[in-house]
Amino acid sequence: MTPEPMPLSQVGRSIPRLEASAKVTGRAEYVHNLRLPGMLYGKIFRSIVPHGRITQVNVSAARAVEGVHRVVTIEDIRSIIPNPYFGPAFHDQPILADHKVRFAGEPVAVVLAENYRVAEQAAGLITAQYEELQAVDDEVEAVSASVFVHDELKPASTFADLQHLKGQRGTNVALDYRLRHGDAEAAFAAADQVFEHSFRTQPVMHTPLEPFVSVADAANGRLTIHTASQSPSFVRIEIARLLGWAENRVRVKTAHLGGGFGSKLYIKLEALVAALSLLTGRPVKISLTMEEQFFMVTRHACTLKIKSAVDKNGRITARQCKTWWNGGAYADIGPRVTQKAGFTAAGPYDIENVALDSYAVYTNRPPASALRGFGAPQTAWAYETHTDLIAEALNIDKLEFRRRNILRNGRPQATGTVVRDTGLEAILDRLAERLAWDQPFDRGSDKLRRGRGIAIGFKAIVAPTTSAAIVKINADGSCTLYCGTVDMGQGSDTCMTQIAAEVLNIEAESIQVIHPDTDVTPYDMGTLGSRSTFHMGNAVRLAAEDAKSKIAALMAELNLPPGSNVPLVELFRRKYGMQAGNIIGTGSFHPAYAKPDHQTGRSPQVTPFWGVGGTGAEVEVDTETGQFRVTTLVNVVDAGVPINPKLVQQQISGAAIMQFGFTVSENMVFHEGQLTNGSLADYKIPGLLDLPRNFINEWVEARQHDGPFGAKGVGESATIALSPAIGNAIADAVGVRLTELPLTAESVYRAMQAAKGKPLPEQ
Amino acid sequence: MTSFELVEPRSLEETFALLDRDDPAVRPIAGGTALMLMMKSGLFSPLRLISLRRVEPRLAGIAFADGSVRIGAMTTFAALEHSPEIRRHLPVVTRTMRTLANPRVRNVATVGGNLAHADTHLDLPLVWIALGAQAVVVSPRGERIVAVEDLYRGYYETVLHHDELIAALHVPLRPTWRSVYVKVTTRTAHDWPALGIAVSLARDGSIIRDARIAVGAATKKATRLIQAETVLRGAAIDAAAVDDALLARAGDAAIGEISIEADSRGSASYKQHLLRVYLGRAVRAAAAAEPGA
Repeated sequence: MTPEPMPLSQVGRSIPRLEASAKVTGRAEYVHNLRLPGMLYGKIFRSIVPHGRITQVNVSAARAVEGVHRVVTIEDIRSIIPNPYFGPAFHDQPILADHKVRFAGEPVAVVLAENYRVAEQAAGLITAQYEELQAVDDEVEAVSASVFVHDELKPASTFADLQHLKGQRGTNVALDYRLRHGDAEAAFAAADQVFEHSFRTQPVMHTPLEPFVSVADAANGRLTIHTASQSPSFVRIEIARLLGWAENRVRVKTAHLGGGFGSKLYIKLEALVAALSLLTGRPVKISLTMEEQFFMVTRHACTLKIKSAVDKNGRITARQCKTWWNGGAYADIGPRVTQKAGFTAAGPYDIENVALDSYAVYTNRPPASALRGFGAPQTAWAYETHTDLIAEALNIDKLEFRRRNILRNGRPQATGTVVRDTGLEAILDRLAERLAWDQPFDRGSDKLRRGRGIAIGFKAIVAPTTSAAIVKINADGSCTLYCGTVDMGQGSDTCMTQIAAEVLNIEAESIQVIHPDTDVTPYDMGTLGSRSTFHMGNAVRLAAEDAKSKIAALMAELNLPPGSNVPLVELFRRKYGMQAGNIIGTGSFHPAYAKPDHQTGRSPQVTPFWGVGGTGAEVEVDTETGQFRVTTLVNVVDAGVPINPKLVQQQISGAAIMQFGFTVSENMVFHEGQLTNGSLADYKIPGLLDLPRNFINEWVEARQHDGPFGAKGVGESATIALSPAIGNAIADAVGVRLTELPLTAESVYRAMQAAKGKPLPEQ
Repeated sequence: MTSFELVEPRSLEETFALLDRDDPAVRPIAGGTALMLMMKSGLFSPLRLISLRRVEPRLAGIAFADGSVRIGAMTTFAALEHSPEIRRHLPVVTRTMRTLANPRVRNVATVGGNLAHADTHLDLPLVWIALGAQAVVVSPRGERIVAVEDLYRGYYETVLHHDELIAALHVPLRPTWRSVYVKVTTRTAHDWPALGIAVSLARDGSIIRDARIAVGAATKKATRLIQAETVLRGAAIDAAAVDDALLARAGDAAIGEISIEADSRGSASYKQHLLRVYLGRAVRAAAAAEPGA
C-alpha cells in the first residue's frame, strides 16, 4: 500500500484522537482496571454529622468480619505520617478525620480487606459517636459566625500571598483578596446613575464518569502511586512532603482518565492510599462509588454583590464587586479560585474605577475547588446579568451596550495587566451574526413566549506555572514524546504530537506519547485551567526545536549540508557505525508573571493569556408552567489559532453541555448540613435529549503571539458566559429576572407569578 | 452491595417453597433494574433472591383473547414495545415506552416487577390504571385478581403478601376509548417525573361517557382520581376543544382528593399547579385523539 503523502502542515489538522480506537474497543488503560498481587481493597467509613467532635469510633465488629485485614483510623495514619494534614493552599485537611469532623461525608475510618465486598460490608458495621457542634452553612453568615470550622489557619508555605493568614484564629475567612483600580468611591459619588444587584450560585459537582481511584504500592523503600490524577507532579511533591522523603522515592503514574474537570487535582485519595500501603506493606486500592464523589469536591456556591456607576453616554465609570465563596470544610485550591476569579470579577469591560473584594470562606460542607472555569462562570453569572439589567434600565440595546464598554486589546484590565491577543469584540460580532441580532425576532405566542440573550466573559489563567517536555529521536528516526499532561478526554496527546510533528516535519500519528509517570516524564504543574496547550504546548515545541537543532548539529558533524535529505536512521548509522544511540531534545516553559501587590491586588502581568468565551441563546418558555427549552445555543470562544480544529470544537461543545447542566438542572441540595440528593437519580446532569436543537460551537481566531503556533487553551472558555446568556434570554421572553442558579421551571414560574402579584405558596 | 444467594427455580411450586413469608431478606427478583439500585445503595441487603426468569410458561407471553390481553409478568418492556399487537390494540403503551428509562433498562425490566416495585415515579402503572387493567396474583393458596388501582397501599408498599407473586396482567381492549400518558419532568428529559398523568376517555359524540385518570410521582402512590373523573363523566365537549371551566373544575377536584409531596423535582404547590395544567392538557389530548388511541 502506498502511504498517503504527508500533509504539509501538522498544525491545523483535525486528526482523530490517537487513543480513540483503544477506547472504543475497551483496550485503553485505566487505573480502575489495575490489580496488583496481594492488593488490599479499602472502603471508607464516613461521618454523618456536619460538625462534631468524635467521642468514639467502634471498629470491633468490622474487624471481626472474615477477610478484613485491618481497620484504620487517624491514630494509625499518624504512626506513618506524624503531621497528617495536606492541601495545595492550606495544610488543613487530615488524611482521616482527626478527632473532629467538619462535613457530613468526611472520611473517619477505612476498612482494608481482601476484596471490595468484604470491605464494604465491614465498613457498614463501624459506628461512631459525636458531640455535635453547631454547623456553618451559608458563605455570608460564616464570615461573622461565632462557630469556626478550623481553630487556626494553616497556609502552605508555597503561596506567599497567604502568609499573612498564618496562625490566625477565630475566623472562617481563608483568603480576602482585594483589588483597587482608580477611585471607585469618587466615581460612584459623581455618577449619573448607580445600579446594584445581588446574585447567587449553587454548589455543583464535577461528575467525572470515572470516579476517583488510587492505588499505592510501597516496596523496597519506595512508593509507587497509580492514580487517576490531573496533577501527578503535585501528588509526588505533596506525598514526599508528608513522608519527609526525597521526591525521587515517590513515583506517581496515571493512565487515561475518564474526565476530571478540576476534581482530580492536587491530592485526593493519594495521601490515604500511600499511608495505608506503608502501614500494611501491601498494595492498597481505593475506588469511590459515584455516590461517594459528592463528598470529595464540588464547585463553590457563591453570593455576589455587584454595583456599577454609569454615565449619560452609557459608559460604565465604576464597578464594585463583592464575592463570597462557599469553600466547604477544607480550602483545597479554593483560595486560588477566589483570587483568580477575583481578577476578572468586574467583567470584560473597560472600567476606569474598580473595587473588588473576594472572600474564600470555610463552611461545614464538602470542600469546594476549581471546576472548569476556576470561578469565572460564577462571576460572569453576576456581571452579565447585571449588564443586561443596566442596558434595560438605560433602554440601550444589550449588544450595543456591551460593545460600548467592551475591553479592547491594548487597554489595561482592572488588575493593570494590558489585554492583548483577545477576540472579545470578534466574539460579540459573531454572536450577533449567528443570532441575526439586527433582524426582527419571533416572540412566539402568549402560551409559548420566545426570547433571546447574549453574554460574554473572560478569565485569567492560573499563574505562575511551568511545564517541561522531552522529545526523543530513536535510532531508527522514530519519535517518542515524554509529556506530563494528563489526557483525560480532552485530546491533549493528539494535540501535543501535532506540535512536535510540526517542528520536526513528521506525521503526528507516528509519534508515541509516554503518559505521565514522575519517574520518567518531566515536571508539569497540572492539567488544569486551560493551561496545557499553551504551557505544555510551548514546552513540547521547545523540546522538538532542541531535538531539531541537535539533528542539524549531527548533520554538520557528519559533513552533510544543512537540509540534507539523508534519513535519520542513516545519520545514526554513520555516527555510531550501526543503528544505535538517540537524540534527546528538552524544553521547559515558564511564562512571565508578576505577583499582585497585596494592597491593591494589581499586577502588570497577571496572566499569560486570557480565556474568552461568549454565548447566545434563544429560548421558548411555556408561560403556564415556567418550563422552558433552549432552542438555540451558540457558543463562541477565542481559540488563538487551533492546533486541531475538531478537538477545539469538542472542547467548546463539552464545556457548554457541562455548564448547561450547571445552569438548568444540577444542584447539590443541603438540608441542615446534609446532602439530600447525592446520586445521579436525584442530581441531574443533562443528557443528549436536553441539548438545544440548534447547538452551534465555534471559535474566532485571535493569534496568541507567544502561544505554540499561535494557539491558546480552550478547555473552559465555553463555560464562562453560558448561564447569564440563558438567564438573559428567559428574561427577554417573559420579563422576569432570576438571580439565583439553577434556572428551573419552578423558579421561572414563581418569578412570573410574583410579577403578577399572585405569588405561589412556598411549600 | 453485600453478597447474596441467587436461586433460579423452574416452577411456581418450587418458587413458593423458596419464598419465606416472614423474612424480608428473602425476595423474588424479576428484571432487577430497580432492586439492584436499592441493593447498590445499601437500602436493601437480601440474603436470598429468587429469580423468576426461568419460571415458564405461566409468567410469560402476550396473549389476546375475549376482548382482553393477558401479559405475563415476566414480559420485558422491550417485548411490549416491539409487539405489533400491542401497538395495534394498546398504542398508548407503545408510546409510553419511548419516554420510559432507556433501551438497556427496557430490555431487562419486566411488567410484573414494575408493578410490584410500587415506586410512585414509575410510568407504566398509571397507564395500566387508566386502561382498567387487573393483576393476576398467585400464591400457594391459589389465585386472586387485584385491580392495579387497588394494588398500592403506600410509598413502596403493595397489598401483596410476601408469598404472593404477580403472575400476569389482564388488560381489557376498549376500541372506542382514547388514552394519553403525560410524563412531566422539571429538570432533565431523563429525570424521574415530577408528575405522571394517564387519562383514558370514552366519548359518545360530544359527551364524555366515561373517564379513568391516574396520577403518580407527585403522590405517595399511584392513585386513581375518582373525583376528577366524576366531574368529567357526562360532560359535553366540543369536538375540537374542551371547555376551560370544565377542566378547572376537574383540576380542583383532583387537587382536593390527593395529597401532593414535595421533593427535589418541585415544591408541593408547584406540582399542584403542574397537575392542574397537565390534567387539562392530557384530557384535551385524549378527547382529540382517535378512538383506540
